[in-house]
Amino acid sequence: MKDKGRDILLSGIILCVLAILALWAKSLDPGSSWQRAGLADFTLGFVLLAAHVSGRLVKTLRMPMISGYVVAGVLAGPFVSGFLTREMTENLKLFDDLALSFIALSAGGTLHVKALGERFRSIFLNVILQTVIVFSSVFGAVWICSACFGFTAHLSRLHIISLAVLLGVVAIARSPSSAIAIISECRASGPFTETVLGVTIVIDVIIIVLFTLALTAIQMFFSGGPGDFSTLIALCGEILVSLVIGALIGLGISFYISRAGHDLTLFLLLTGFAVTKISQWLGGFMLANFQLALHLEPLLICMSAGFVVQNFGRAGFQFIKSLDQAALPVFVLFFSLAGASLDLNALKACWPMALFLVVIRGAGIGVAAWTAGRINRDPSPHLHNAWMSYLTQAGVAIGLAQLAQRQFPEIGIYLTTMVLAAVAVNQLVGPILFKIALERVNEAGTR
Amino acid sequence: MKTVFCLLMIIFLAFSGYHLSFRHFKLPLVARKFYLTGIEFLFLGLLIGPEFLNIVDQKTLNSLEPLISLLLGWIGMLYGFQFELAKLRRFPVELLHAAVAEGLFTLVWMFGWIYCALSFFAQISFPVKMSICIVLSAAAACTAQTGLALWTSFQAVPRQKMIIHLRYISGIDGMVGLLAYGAVFFFYPGTENIQPIGQFFVVAGISAGILLLYLLFTAVRLERAELVLIVVGMTVLTSGMASLANFSSLIISFGVGVCLVNFLRDKERIFNLLVSVEKPVYLLMLLFLGLNWRFDLIWYPVAAAGYFLFRFSGKFSAGWLLTRSNPGFRPHPYFFGFGLLDWGGLPMAFLLEFSRGFPDTATGHAVSVALTALVINEALSGPLAGRLLQRDGS
Repeated sequence: MKDKGRDILLSGIILCVLAILALWAKSLDPGSSWQRAGLADFTLGFVLLAAHVSGRLVKTLRMPMISGYVVAGVLAGPFVSGFLTREMTENLKLFDDLALSFIALSAGGTLHVKALGERFRSIFLNVILQTVIVFSSVFGAVWICSACFGFTAHLSRLHIISLAVLLGVVAIARSPSSAIAIISECRASGPFTETVLGVTIVIDVIIIVLFTLALTAIQMFFSGGPGDFSTLIALCGEILVSLVIGALIGLGISFYISRAGHDLTLFLLLTGFAVTKISQWLGGFMLANFQLALHLEPLLICMSAGFVVQNFGRAGFQFIKSLDQAALPVFVLFFSLAGASLDLNALKACWPMALFLVVIRGAGIGVAAWTAGRINRDPSPHLHNAWMSYLTQAGVAIGLAQLAQRQFPEIGIYLTTMVLAAVAVNQLVGPILFKIALERVNEAGTR
Repeated sequence: MKTVFCLLMIIFLAFSGYHLSFRHFKLPLVARKFYLTGIEFLFLGLLIGPEFLNIVDQKTLNSLEPLISLLLGWIGMLYGFQFELAKLRRFPVELLHAAVAEGLFTLVWMFGWIYCALSFFAQISFPVKMSICIVLSAAAACTAQTGLALWTSFQAVPRQKMIIHLRYISGIDGMVGLLAYGAVFFFYPGTENIQPIGQFFVVAGISAGILLLYLLFTAVRLERAELVLIVVGMTVLTSGMASLANFSSLIISFGVGVCLVNFLRDKERIFNLLVSVEKPVYLLMLLFLGLNWRFDLIWYPVAAAGYFLFRFSGKFSAGWLLTRSNPGFRPHPYFFGFGLLDWGGLPMAFLLEFSRGFPDTATGHAVSVALTALVINEALSGPLAGRLLQRDGS
């Protein structure tokens, strides 16, 4: 108790000192390029340190550290204190990409073929039921109740159905990065953890297919003609190619570990980052030069690479150990930037509708997870706590909403605003509930 | 996108390079010296920079600023960590006096020559002239142990006491250069309105804030991952605050390093962390310096040769004076200064910070001349140091 009090006091003082320094930095007018560069450096250092201390502070309250990172990001971000402007957040996106690819490598590396085989039935049931039930409940609720909310009351029937379809699909999306971060922080392992991770990752793959399917259906809806299913076939091809490329990179990483092995953490960070950036560049390059739309999925490539290293070689342990060494700075930066990007204006604009969506989605996840657990005869603690593990949402959901906005500007702004608002709630509440779930099933601290 | 590719390429080069450099390949001494000190990375920077391939252009270089700040802060801290009073006290105070005197002599000697040369040959304003004189003379005053390390690792050297003296001076005299270098932030156009007393209080306030944060962060036992995060975060924060206050991140980081090594409980762990990436940091710095290297003007090699000769004569004279005036140094040969020619990383950090902090034509010329002189120096300092160390012993 005494230690806890000291930790809180210490964290409080550090945050005060950082806040004073931030006020000083904010009061200056950076005239020269030297000073402007200094402000960018100061911001980066401030985000890293303040988020870490916030994480430590919430840890003493038995909450997950990533909630602290997210809250620090929100507080420092453009909607609260304004210390981190939108421009600064955009400039730090480089680190975001680095973190995301790293997290994807971790996600793949955490999956064990043997454990997946043992949990196959449970994962399969969860994926199917959650996809169907979450989609149906959100779709149905939006369709029926959107007239009751001022935010969407004036939309036409066609628009409401389209919005309901898209919101239903986006509601299925999860946040593998948050799941990995919480599992890593809690040092959790066991059947419950493996199932949650497996379900989250599989859904992360199929959500892209489902989303493309939904876009095609809405296109048919709007145009009244047959949809273009070639996009869907191309998408399946891209996913397959991404998985194969990832497997090859995984073999390369295994080879590096067995032959050289030094500075593995740095090597893995660079590999993940290079994969993300080269995939993005290749898409633009192919389109510009060959009029060919090729979208390799960097996250899938990294996940596949991590999976191959873990399961088809002898380097799995070393691989995970190296990833763990860099996990803290990566998570701190990634989630604090995610917090700074959370759109509180959107939440302010449509919070009743967003809360309604969050509750309906949570209920859908609860029913699906309980039913899957019941059919699979999972132990009682698993059955009652599983729903808490699937609530977190982040970048994937926002990315999908933004994609849809580009395709259907008529409803896009409603979709994006609602998704941003719902993600803000889910990202704040989800990690806390997931940590509680891991503690309740006694899988926290077992790794 | 270009920034990303350049960042990837630069880090990859540094990453692979430091595993290949610093190895004991059987090469001729001059080539071996280049290879072992990583000077090839300077040329690599030159090759991929705006001067030749332009893969990393000026705009890209600007967007990589946080990485440069991290490097400068890291080097400053690392240098500050060498000044642990308990370890320094093990040596007689005469050695400290000798090191400071040697550094000061070279500094003043170089300042005089460079000022005269610039007054004759360059049409630049007084503040610019002063700042270039300060940076170049401060860089010249520093010495590194590279040549000594090279010789002693390849063959047995008979004069062990001389080696100890050379090493001590090489470790300490950089401080003179570093403190002198700080003056440039009061001379350069745009910074002349800064009041030295006010600036002193700002810098003292920043340093106190940073030290307080370090003390608070390390008040509890940190895991290694936490320590990495905090040291990286604090280094970037320190560099950012120094730049915001229009001051040198190198000097503030150096001051922080000195305080930490003398007052912090967790100093060993922080030092080990700083040292663990010393080589990649050093190579990255060389690469970034290479990117700032220009060959716009035909007189660069002549000016560089002049700069090398001034420095050589300064170090030689300082060494000779030491052997004549300091009883502890009397047994050493009169060309004791031959062992003090190596430059090392600190002056390169001055040049890098100067070129980033005050980017203009005159600065570019000064840095390019100094880099060319550095290459000449690296080629000649090895054999000269060898001559000194092998005397009587071969």
